[in-house]
Amino acid sequence: MNVKFNNRDPVYVQVIRHFKEQIAKGVLEPGQEIPSRRELANQLKINPNTAQRAYKEMEEQGLIYTEGNLPSKITKDELVLKGVRKELIMEAVETFIYSVQSIQVPLEEVLDLVTEKYQKSQEEGNV
Amino acid sequence: MKRFGKLVHFEFNRFFKIYLVLIGITILSQIIGIIVESTNYINLANKSMYEDHVSLKQFIEENGMMSFAHIGPSLWLLAPIAIVAVSLLFYMIFIWYRDWLGKNTFIYRLLMLPTNRISVFAAKATTILLYTFGMIAIQLVLFQVDAQLLKWIVPDEFRFDMTTREMIQTFDFIGLVFPYSFTEFIIHYGLGMIVVSVVFTMILLERSFRLKGILFAVLYGAAAVLVFILPILLNYLVFNEYLYPGELIIAEIITAFIVLVSSIWTSHYLLNKKIRV
Amino acid sequence: MIEVKDVYKKFGRKPVLKGVSFTAEKGKITALIGINGVGKTTIMNAIMALTPINKGEILINGEKLHKGSFEKITFIPDAITMLPSMKIKDAMQFMDDFYDSWNQERANELLSFFRLKESDKIADLSKGNTAKVNLLLGLALDVDFLLMDEPFSGIDIFSREQIAEVFTSHLIEDRGVIITTHEINDIEHLLDKVVLLDNGVVLKEFNTEEMREKEGKSVIDVMREVYRS
Repeated sequence: MNVKFNNRDPVYVQVIRHFKEQIAKGVLEPGQEIPSRRELANQLKINPNTAQRAYKEMEEQGLIYTEGNLPSKITKDELVLKGVRKELIMEAVETFIYSVQSIQVPLEEVLDLVTEKYQKSQEEGNV
Repeated sequence: MKRFGKLVHFEFNRFFKIYLVLIGITILSQIIGIIVESTNYINLANKSMYEDHVSLKQFIEENGMMSFAHIGPSLWLLAPIAIVAVSLLFYMIFIWYRDWLGKNTFIYRLLMLPTNRISVFAAKATTILLYTFGMIAIQLVLFQVDAQLLKWIVPDEFRFDMTTREMIQTFDFIGLVFPYSFTEFIIHYGLGMIVVSVVFTMILLERSFRLKGILFAVLYGAAAVLVFILPILLNYLVFNEYLYPGELIIAEIITAFIVLVSSIWTSHYLLNKKIRV
Repeated sequence: MIEVKDVYKKFGRKPVLKGVSFTAEKGKITALIGINGVGKTTIMNAIMALTPINKGEILINGEKLHKGSFEKITFIPDAITMLPSMKIKDAMQFMDDFYDSWNQERANELLSFFRLKESDKIADLSKGNTAKVNLLLGLALDVDFLLMDEPFSGIDIFSREQIAEVFTSHLIEDRGVIITTHEINDIEHLLDKVVLLDNGVVLKEFNTEEMREKEGKSVIDVMREVYRS
């Protein structure tokens, strides 16, 4: 795992986002074990307390669950998993709309371009 | 206590190699000295008696009998002993400064040991004392070796055998380190310990206050000497030798004790509150 | 917790610390940052009673430093403090002889983590390896608090990476760490807390995550604000 964090957003928030992306992409599967907080800190080169904080938040959001003393696992809850995917899509779309609106481009014009560009980059294998 | 033992052991080992070399030089020089001096004597005797036909009696009248007294005051013996003595005096100071000025500042380690810091002081003092005892013990053994060598090389009729005590007396003032009685032992080494603790305190004053500390150290040293000789001074200057020798000794013991205790207490305070790395 | 309370310190007539106060908690990594020179090391020396202070108080877990404290708190100066003639194993033996808190298992783990040979003489080690041995000797003590003076300076980048790795590993466990540093590139994400010092006073003390969360500022942002104003 090699993630580049920025210095201005809370690191724990960035860690959670990283996990959500991995879940949405399917790199992390439902029920898959995740590293301990110490391992995670080591892998991401972050403070163990931050890793702990991220896991705590994720547990509260239902993204991960822990049974007894076993390692934590990615949730199997379909609703949550779908939610994650939807959340990321919505975020991307919102960012997109914000950028497009700021330069005042009509939606139709943009949508055609989006379709074209998206297909092209799929073909080139860029996504 | 176990840790103190380890600390002494550690301090002892840090100078041990150099110490061994010094002792080695002393032993070699002393044995060579005995061999050279007594062989010279025998050669002279042979030459006088066989070539110049001098009688045994006449030869001994002119040259004296061969004994340790011929060799004791020679440089063969005195020079190495003086070197060892000066080295130990020097090391009494260096034993502290090496921890600050050495390549890796070891004083950090010593001051961060989970023991009372005064035990670092005590370990260093013990080390100096052990080295001194070691030197004396070796010399006492060497006296026996020397006597035996003389017996082997010099025939009975030319030789005058000395007791260990007589041999020590040929050393003059260096003989002071070889006490004859338990009381002398206590006095000599008690004094030695006081000197060591005063010097250590002076070093710690300098190490705590640096430039200003040099002044404090000189003042402390002067005060220690003054307190120590106070009974003698007062007896001569104020009391017109009113005190009996026994009373004077008791007064001396008291002031010596004061100097020792105040040095240890001051060092304890400096090590805990004022020392700088 | 280590509490530094209103500490003043002069070198001769020159004041170095002018009323410094801050705290460092167990389980957290606190960085003492100062861009110019003196003060940081003096604070560490003062905590360990290696230099006297003129005023103020320093408490470790609520009590003043005493001989037993050295089993609870240790200081790793910026240069190794073992004799050059010692082998690594002699240095470890020395620690084992004097500290109840010496953890030989952890020492061995650190030896292999840093890829050090215990038969090597300290005088013959490279700069990076000397720094690692220095660190090892402190880290292998089961203490609550570790003070490290500039653990990242003056060594090659790979040694630096390896040392940074220690901070995120179990080798630190849940101990409290105070490090001094003058540049925080590469290590920003390792810190819980930052104390910014200048001219003998604390200009700002903050939690890094809280600062990011509430004000959206990185440590360097805050440093820029504080030191430039």
